[in-house]
Amino acid sequence: MFKNIALFEFKSRISRLSTWVYFLGFFAIAMLWIAAAGGLFKEANISFGSGKVFVNSPFALAQTVSFLGMFGLIVMAAVMGRAVQQDAEYRSHHFFFTSPISKFDYLGGRFAGAFAVLLVIFASIGLGAWLATLLPGMDTERLGSNQWSAYLWPYALVLLPNALLVGCVFFVIAALTKKMLPVYIGSVLFLIGYLISLQLLRDIDNKTVASLIDPFGTTAISRIAEYWTVADRNTRLIPLEGVLLWNRLLWLSVGVLVAIFGFWRFSFAGFASERAAGKTGKLEDTDRNALSKPASPVAPATIRPAGLALLPHLVWLNLRETIKNIYFGVLVFAGVLFLIFASTTLGARFGTNTWPVTYQMTDLLGGTFTLFMLIIIAFYAGELVWRERDNRLDQIIDAAPVPTWLPVLSKLLALMLVPVLLQFLLMLCGMTIQAFKGYFDFEIGLYLQELGLQLLEYWLLCALAIAIHSAVNQKYLGHFVMIVYYIVISFASGLGFEHNLYKYGAIPPATYSDMNGFGHFLPRVFAFQAYWTAAALLLTVVAYLLWTRGTVSGWRERLVMARGRFKGGAVAVSVVSVLAFAGLGGFIFYNTNILNRYLNSHDREQRQVDYEKKYKALSAAPQPRITAVSLKTDLYPSEQRVRMVGSYRLKNKNALPVTEVWLGFAQDELIFHRLEFDPPAQLVENNEKLGVRRYKLNAPMTPGAEATLHFDLERATHGFTNAGSNTQVVYNGSFINGRNILPAIGYQEDAELARDQDRKKYGLAPKERMRDRDDPEGLQSNYLSRDSDWIDFETIVGTEEDQIAIAPGYLQKEWKEGGRRYFSYKMDVPILNFFAYQSARYAVKKDQWRDVPIEVYYQPGHEYNLDRMIAATKASLEYFSNAFGPYQHKQFRILEFPRYASFAQAFPNTIPYSESIGFIARVREADEKDIDYPYYVTAHEAAHQWWAHQVMGGNVQGGTLLSETLAQYSALMVMKQKYGEAKMQKFLAYEMDQYLAGRAFEQKKELPLARVENQPYIHYRKGSVVMYALQDYIGEDNVNRALKAMIQEYAYKGPPYPNATVFLKHIRAVTPPHLQYVIDDMFENIILFDNRTTKATYKELPDGKFEVTMKITAKKRKADKLGKEDDVPLADWIDIGVLDDKGVPIFLEKRKIEQEENVITVVVDRKPAKAGIDPLNKLIDRRPRDNAIAVEKG
Amino acid sequence: MELVINRLSKTYPNGVQALKDVTLTIPTGMFGLLGPNGAGKSTLMRTLATLQDADSGSARMGDIDILRDKDAVRRQLGYLPQEFGVYPKVSARDMLNHLAALKGLSDKKQRALVVDALLKQTNLFDVKDKALGGFSGGMRQRFGIAQALLGNPKLIIVDEPTAGLDPEERVRFHNLLAEIGEQVIVVLSTHIVSDVSDLCPNMAIINKGEVLLTGKPDELTRALNGRLWATSVPRTELGAAKLEYPVISTRLISGQTRIHVIGDTQPGPTFKAVVPELEDTYFAAIGGFLGAKASAPAVAESAVA
Repeated sequence: MFKNIALFEFKSRISRLSTWVYFLGFFAIAMLWIAAAGGLFKEANISFGSGKVFVNSPFALAQTVSFLGMFGLIVMAAVMGRAVQQDAEYRSHHFFFTSPISKFDYLGGRFAGAFAVLLVIFASIGLGAWLATLLPGMDTERLGSNQWSAYLWPYALVLLPNALLVGCVFFVIAALTKKMLPVYIGSVLFLIGYLISLQLLRDIDNKTVASLIDPFGTTAISRIAEYWTVADRNTRLIPLEGVLLWNRLLWLSVGVLVAIFGFWRFSFAGFASERAAGKTGKLEDTDRNALSKPASPVAPATIRPAGLALLPHLVWLNLRETIKNIYFGVLVFAGVLFLIFASTTLGARFGTNTWPVTYQMTDLLGGTFTLFMLIIIAFYAGELVWRERDNRLDQIIDAAPVPTWLPVLSKLLALMLVPVLLQFLLMLCGMTIQAFKGYFDFEIGLYLQELGLQLLEYWLLCALAIAIHSAVNQKYLGHFVMIVYYIVISFASGLGFEHNLYKYGAIPPATYSDMNGFGHFLPRVFAFQAYWTAAALLLTVVAYLLWTRGTVSGWRERLVMARGRFKGGAVAVSVVSVLAFAGLGGFIFYNTNILNRYLNSHDREQRQVDYEKKYKALSAAPQPRITAVSLKTDLYPSEQRVRMVGSYRLKNKNALPVTEVWLGFAQDELIFHRLEFDPPAQLVENNEKLGVRRYKLNAPMTPGAEATLHFDLERATHGFTNAGSNTQVVYNGSFINGRNILPAIGYQEDAELARDQDRKKYGLAPKERMRDRDDPEGLQSNYLSRDSDWIDFETIVGTEEDQIAIAPGYLQKEWKEGGRRYFSYKMDVPILNFFAYQSARYAVKKDQWRDVPIEVYYQPGHEYNLDRMIAATKASLEYFSNAFGPYQHKQFRILEFPRYASFAQAFPNTIPYSESIGFIARVREADEKDIDYPYYVTAHEAAHQWWAHQVMGGNVQGGTLLSETLAQYSALMVMKQKYGEAKMQKFLAYEMDQYLAGRAFEQKKELPLARVENQPYIHYRKGSVVMYALQDYIGEDNVNRALKAMIQEYAYKGPPYPNATVFLKHIRAVTPPHLQYVIDDMFENIILFDNRTTKATYKELPDGKFEVTMKITAKKRKADKLGKEDDVPLADWIDIGVLDDKGVPIFLEKRKIEQEENVITVVVDRKPAKAGIDPLNKLIDRRPRDNAIAVEKG
Repeated sequence: MELVINRLSKTYPNGVQALKDVTLTIPTGMFGLLGPNGAGKSTLMRTLATLQDADSGSARMGDIDILRDKDAVRRQLGYLPQEFGVYPKVSARDMLNHLAALKGLSDKKQRALVVDALLKQTNLFDVKDKALGGFSGGMRQRFGIAQALLGNPKLIIVDEPTAGLDPEERVRFHNLLAEIGEQVIVVLSTHIVSDVSDLCPNMAIINKGEVLLTGKPDELTRALNGRLWATSVPRTELGAAKLEYPVISTRLISGQTRIHVIGDTQPGPTFKAVVPELEDTYFAAIGGFLGAKASAPAVAESAVA
């Protein structure tokens, strides 16, 4: 019987059109996705973290299958829920329940049949992916060999368990409620689980919880594979172990429990009975006892055809039916739950939250949460559109004398009110959370604006959903179409479709900043919003035209009907919205493509390619170098305009004469008021498209000769662009780097296309990212500017009257002129050709270290961390000037800029500092987890005054070690001084995590630290871990001694510039012979340890001491450039330690470990809590937590 | 006012021709549309109720072109579909009130009065605040009539309203219909002959999308006067009898099969003349012995009542 029922279910479903629509949908998306990632389309730009990861690698396939499978939730809901619910809807249950079949046969059979259909549907993902790999035109370098296991394993690991879990839950919900709505709500709850887990991930300590919470297992997979290198990803199947195993077990058992519960609760009788009757029983017929009935005449009534007047009534009715049930309550609850969970990691960096400022709260709702909204909108659109038909009331309602637009409009409006309600609730919830966190500046106006802008976008979705459901006219297919829309829109950019004009509902984001408010973003937002609103109106007309009223059969009839409806108001609205759509579209196009130059990623790559192909040959031609820059810069913040008038002093530092000078301009739309050489030169080539101007000098510059380049350049902002925008000069909080406007001299190697996979697309040979560490030509330039060395710098900067403008140098003079405010700055020591301007309505906090004034320019209201920044500055200046050498400037300034970017950057005596990375951080001193990152960032930037602005690395491998890694080291020492070793361990855990995770995203090759090719995960993250360990191994004083020696040798030197070889020479000089190997391991190789303690016991000795015995395993591995690892023999000095219950070492000693398995016994004074190898995680180790384990009494 | 249907045809995309050149004139009063399941009754009813378009032909109610001017029809229309549901948790009064608003009873007070009056008329007033989900079949049908009466419709279409009602409920339902069918056009479709014979002064018999007979029930019945014969045959001989005689209906009575046969003369010695009833006309018509298709060869079909 079971078999019959299952087969029947399977057959009836497999022959349905919708099944194959689902199948084809997933098939097409999977195929497209893999084909795009595999380089089939030139425009596409998709990869699995790194372009070196094969698109058919086990990892990529696991991602593809599990990710698409998540969207399959909708299909699972439709198939599994309907498998049993349809019997209630079609009232066919009587046939089954009166047959001699058991509950198990019925439920199990239906379940099995539907589940088999799911298998067929989801097989399409693997099939699509596989077929994509066979397509001609795929980039062979992105394809590995196809392995069946790689295709099948993700199903076993993710999709099938998910389908089982979700299937059980949906099936049971449908069986018990006989409704589909709760099934959808169930799917939203699953989604919330996933979203919450994503949010939790932001705190390193939450990773395990997050991995368990995600019902789909994707987070657990990410957790398992987070430190996988490219080589791992290409070869290893995701192992079913650790959190993933627990996740699968947990959620499968949830599924089984739900299934058991469902089986227990389900009864044929209960299912068959009418729901309302189940509680109250049938009413007694009032007519039975009625006597012969007097005809009671119906009062005559005035009939006015229902129209607009009825709309509010209908909207209200529709809305009430939508929200007046437990399910809507569950949804709200889910939303609130999300918000509460997510707010625990609000804005977290290094596991430390920001203050819950309003824009952080609204950002939370604007990101991943939109998926939640989209699903709600899609579901409720389906419910609303189908409400009469589901209740079999459609014939009565359809025959009522109401115009057809009335139900369409009333349902649309009711649907639009759903997000209104939710947004409002979320706002209240957000404010409650703020209050709970002790933050009371609610900024209701900002809430309304931010949530209102989101709401407008949701409304566009509402119109789309109603139109889709009206047109598709099949509820479950309608949901699916919405999901397909979402996937397509989400990945359109990756496929090369970047213009927002053809992506329904695409509105460029508006970033709110405390400094600049919504700044210049809103006109663009409103233009696109208006444009898509016109489209939404059109969609609504389509929904109206195709609206099912009465019995229509087939598309032909529907189209005839639509033609019949297309008159009067429909025509008027269509005409108006088409005109508005075209007009606004034209207006937007005029802004994005005519006023501004529109380039998609492909165009930009093409430009890089053209530049390289055309001008690479010239890179050998001798060019003069800039020796001095003098500028008058006028900022016009309210016009977003900047004009730079000034000159370069040029010098021929080559041995050969210079006959031609090449100027390169990074900025597209510059206005050239003046560009002149003195002595004069002729413009012989002007390539505006590539931003190159070639000048032939009237008389060649002989070696050592000097010249001047005068320029007057302006960059104005016209209208708006499709993506990105001018965030450099803004109403309040301008921050513009001079190099963005000013010409660079000579061929710019940095402008070349870097990634080999991209180069291949355009027929360019692969290229090395950087020159060899000791390449003499490379050492002739530093990595910041290839056209200049140390320069003299002075500038005047003008801005609007109420703003303060700052540039590197010391204020010479300040004056007002023509309603503008001017500042004159001059630098008294040579600096790198690296300067920026900032301008805003600042408040200033001043302090002093010795005789150096410290100034923090900040946005009023952002006082939270000023003291930390100042304290960090003082501590840094003190430490660095003692340890490395004197601070070269007479002043230290920190300047806030809006959160359009989140970094801080060190210019000479000037540190622009984003409002998002410290100004609103909330560091709770009492919390042992919180890390004072404003302190860290400030110290890091302060350190750059030495490491970059005194000693600058050459433009070669390892160059950034001299700046970034050393700045990290310096900051760590300042932090250690203040917060102690234990806190450093917390900080370094994040650094280690980011280093290990960063390896997976390596686009080319991982290099040892001393050969780092400007790879942030290496020079910052690995740099921190390595340098901290280094000072532990050879002593902080020794490291500082080496650094001091290097400063003495190389400050302000170059060309030739110093390199990592120089650094290593100095470090080796202070390293004892037995630890020289450590320098190799840390800087010259990629070494990872796999150290762990398998057993630790103690026994109390008669003298009151404790003898601790540890069984430890040590492994050392060496990785190649893609992360392939080989064991290397051990002969390493590694910490052996015993910790007390607070994690403080009571015994810590480096022992030479020479074999994998070791048993070590030590005696300690106090009672041990944990013990093991490298217990403080100084060495790079993928599993730092198993290094020390709890000590048991032996 | 008359409802005039002229050469209405409809073919579904799957090839089924639901209406073939249907021509009917329906006067004020109850009009019975009698036909077996699948005859095209519901298609015709839905077309008249503006819920479906015809491929060709016309239908007019007074001045109103039903196929074109749907809104005008809807303003005068009361429709009780063959099968309909309710929002199970909504009360009868709220639901009726909502439907009244849709019908254009825009004045709130007036609407309330009308709703209450209709609930009284259909004897649902006592349960007006009860959820519709708890209503029995008869109550639900009466609720259906109540909503069809909203707004004093001139044309009331009731599609198979008595299907599924018990005999008692059916009687009461007939009373209700009889009451309203005096001043307006009521088109009642049914496959139950007594619905028509009890209620309708005018009727049509329809099968396979075609109108076979139209007229007053007693006139149509009279057409068979003197032409209807009956006899009993053993079950084993039924097949032979069907081949031999134009059998219009067979019925089991106490184990014997009684057959009704049509013929201008007594078909055989065992046959006795019977006084025809509407049912006989109905069977004769759909069997092809009467009406438009009467000339067709008499292929006897077994119609089992």
